[in-house]
Amino acid sequence: MVGVIKIFQRLRYMKRMGLTHVDTRHEIHKIERHQDLEHYKDIIYQCGKCGTCRTVYQDADWAAVCPSGEFRKFESYYLGGKNLLTWGLTSGKLKWTEHLASIFYSCTVCMACLQQCQIPEIHTYAVEWLMAMREEAVKQGYGPMPEQKLYTEHTMVENNPYMEKHGDRLNWLPSHIKQTPDAKTAYYVGCTSSYREQNVAVATAEILNSLQVDFRIHPNESCCGSPVYMTGQTEKAKKIAEENVKMFKDAGIEKIITSCAGCYRTWKDTYPNKFGLNHGIEVKHLPEFLLDKLKNGELNFSKEFNMKITYHDPCHIGRHMGIYKPPRQVLEKIPGLELLEMKRNRHNAWCCGSGGGVRSAFKDLSAFAANERIEEAKETTAEAIVSCCPFCLNQFKANIKNNEIQALDLSEIVKQII
Amino acid sequence: MNNNEIVSELENIVGEQFVSDKPEETFLYHYDFITAEPEGKCDIVIMPKTAEEVQEIVKIANKFKIPLVPWVSGINFGSTATPLKGGIVVDLRRLNRVLEVNEDDMYALIEGGTTWAGLQAYLGKNHPNLMAGVTFSPPGTGVVASCLCYGMFNLGMLGGTGAEFINGLEVVLGSGDLVRVGSCSLSDYWYGRQPLPDLAGLFIGWEGSTGIVTKAAIKLWPKLPFRKDFVLMGNTFDMGIPVLLKLSKAGLGICDIFVFSYNWIQAAIGAYEKKVPLNPLKDNLPVFISGVTTQAYTEKQHEAQCEAIETISKEGGLTEAPQGISLDILPYQAWGAWNFSRGGGGEWIGSYCSTREIIKYYKLARETALKHGHTSQFYSRLLFGGHYCVSRFNINFNKNDPEEIESARIILKEIHEEVSSLDGVVMYKAPKWAHEVYEEKIYPATYELMKKIKNLLDPNKVMNPGHGWGD
Repeated sequence: MVGVIKIFQRLRYMKRMGLTHVDTRHEIHKIERHQDLEHYKDIIYQCGKCGTCRTVYQDADWAAVCPSGEFRKFESYYLGGKNLLTWGLTSGKLKWTEHLASIFYSCTVCMACLQQCQIPEIHTYAVEWLMAMREEAVKQGYGPMPEQKLYTEHTMVENNPYMEKHGDRLNWLPSHIKQTPDAKTAYYVGCTSSYREQNVAVATAEILNSLQVDFRIHPNESCCGSPVYMTGQTEKAKKIAEENVKMFKDAGIEKIITSCAGCYRTWKDTYPNKFGLNHGIEVKHLPEFLLDKLKNGELNFSKEFNMKITYHDPCHIGRHMGIYKPPRQVLEKIPGLELLEMKRNRHNAWCCGSGGGVRSAFKDLSAFAANERIEEAKETTAEAIVSCCPFCLNQFKANIKNNEIQALDLSEIVKQII
Repeated sequence: MNNNEIVSELENIVGEQFVSDKPEETFLYHYDFITAEPEGKCDIVIMPKTAEEVQEIVKIANKFKIPLVPWVSGINFGSTATPLKGGIVVDLRRLNRVLEVNEDDMYALIEGGTTWAGLQAYLGKNHPNLMAGVTFSPPGTGVVASCLCYGMFNLGMLGGTGAEFINGLEVVLGSGDLVRVGSCSLSDYWYGRQPLPDLAGLFIGWEGSTGIVTKAAIKLWPKLPFRKDFVLMGNTFDMGIPVLLKLSKAGLGICDIFVFSYNWIQAAIGAYEKKVPLNPLKDNLPVFISGVTTQAYTEKQHEAQCEAIETISKEGGLTEAPQGISLDILPYQAWGAWNFSRGGGGEWIGSYCSTREIIKYYKLARETALKHGHTSQFYSRLLFGGHYCVSRFNINFNKNDPEEIESARIILKEIHEEVSSLDGVVMYKAPKWAHEVYEEKIYPATYELMKKIKNLLDPNKVMNPGHGWGD
């Protein structure tokens, strides 16, 4: 009887999590992450394209989760389809084509599908072969997409994917920002905040000054390589990573604070785990840093910020890195602010549609995803959609029509009340 | 056949973004991707949005004499949506709206491609006091397809098979004509199939070989305020089944009664077949694990019902699961069942049968599975107040290994032969090979009638050829 009891103990449904976190982990095949396609070929066919990956599992009114699938409709664009296309390819039933590559690139790699899949190995590892397929597409000459190729070429020369000059990177930096030349802490601004969402950069730097943090911005800061890595161009991304790590280590940096979700994920996870660059630099995302300060009493919000807002979980810190609570805990401490949750939130959050190279290569899909999220935010009656990712912010601003709702970064709010 | 010409005509109906003959799309329709049934071939896939578009598609199929396969998720354990003879797969996923919920007569009018997730979502948001059944199949599978193929769900004790939940249908026939059957053929109310001639039977159990259902009304049930899911365990099926049969005939507000074998439970939670006991009986593990769900309107009624269930169970020697261990996940989807072998392959011998035969069915299938080194994954559900039951035995395999697939086919056929020796055992969602067995066995005049009906509704034999009756 004891054996049966143990089974039922593991079977219990957990609210908001479906069966996802039921303790079946010891039954999972151990699979190494960040390997090439060959490594995953004996696991992919566990998928039966059952469709569970298409909707939130037992929560959020079973709402749709996959921007790519919902936009294109064909099964190929959902995780189940991509799993089995991968199987078809690795088992010799299918061949590489431009269309096959475009299917795999029509994905923001938001990982919402993985959260829903109830097959343990796919739930845990599917992103590995989604990325491996992109790498393979590049090796075979079918990837990246033309627009991604263009921004990569520019990045390799000018250190940003925005077709801007490297020399203009610090144009956002106002003279009143105080830097400490020999600081061990760096504010890693990232390309989007440097060139497109400069308010985020200014706000973050001002917050750090207000908190009397000794920091500096590396004068030669470059792209972290995320847009290059996420489009399967591993070798190029690794070269960028190596240069960045050397640059920061040579400068004596021991800690990075960044306001960018993509840069955070790249420095903290991709560099050490994919590229084997164990840089030893502590990496903090701004909300994590702010929460630490709130907890130890160094940060207090003295002013009110009277607004109803909803929080959008960026994929790069949410599903990619598991950071759901810190931004919310910071927001909840702000006097006057009312936090309203969207139906799809945390691990079930609908992607803004900009990641994975989609915004540059598939503008219609990208806009569809953004508009879906903006509508969901409006349904909460919030006045603003707040995020912790300048790329999400930029995407929302580009798609919000007639000022129907504001888009803000957490840093912009904190700056006003600190 | 010139695919380009057909594709061009199909694009004129639905738009080019919803038609494809590219292998990167058609590959996903050529095979079930779970069962040991053979692969087919999908030449073209199309996704219509309206019944009128479906009619136009059917006309084109007739014009070119090309097969047409209705499809929602492409998952069923007889692989009846696999296009065995090529042709056009009509993927109904864009026909996915809930059109109406009638709270008085308790039904939902839905389009033919509505998924269980879609229906649950709609009811949860708009009609929280009503519930649809929940299958053990994944949430992305189709409601209408499931009901038409005699799927069953967690309200089976109240209403029987999914087919009995159907109030009425709108169908595009193989000829291209659009018909309605049930009360909806005379009015806008879809409350039932009575008292007209019951033409729904022309489409139920035919596995998409007589028409494409574009709308269906499905019965809903009230969600009562008091509910309990009992988990009742016993050492053997000999001990447990009589208790369930007694409970099924005792009223007690029971909406669901089912039993899992020990190994089926392990499959359902995604355990790994190679790490569990092959023969739990040998290890003195209790193999009989059942679920009984009761609902009530008042607390007093609920207490009385629960007390009676507890008494009957105890008298029969069953033990209620200890406090804190309950199937509070119900209803849930048995997502891990086909992947128990970690090879992504699984197929069942699933049959409707007399409740008298459950124990024999289990034992015959179990012995065959053990003989071949497979665990015993058995499940049975009592239906419609205990009038009949469904029994099912799963075999899992690695679908990337041709030898394992072949072995699974042999075992499945052997189990089928064994259980078919019991009176009244008939497979549902039967694959082609099982149909061939039944066609030899069935009353000849009945089979002739089936062929005439099929010919009448699908004169050019374009509808899902290779599947269903009278092919």
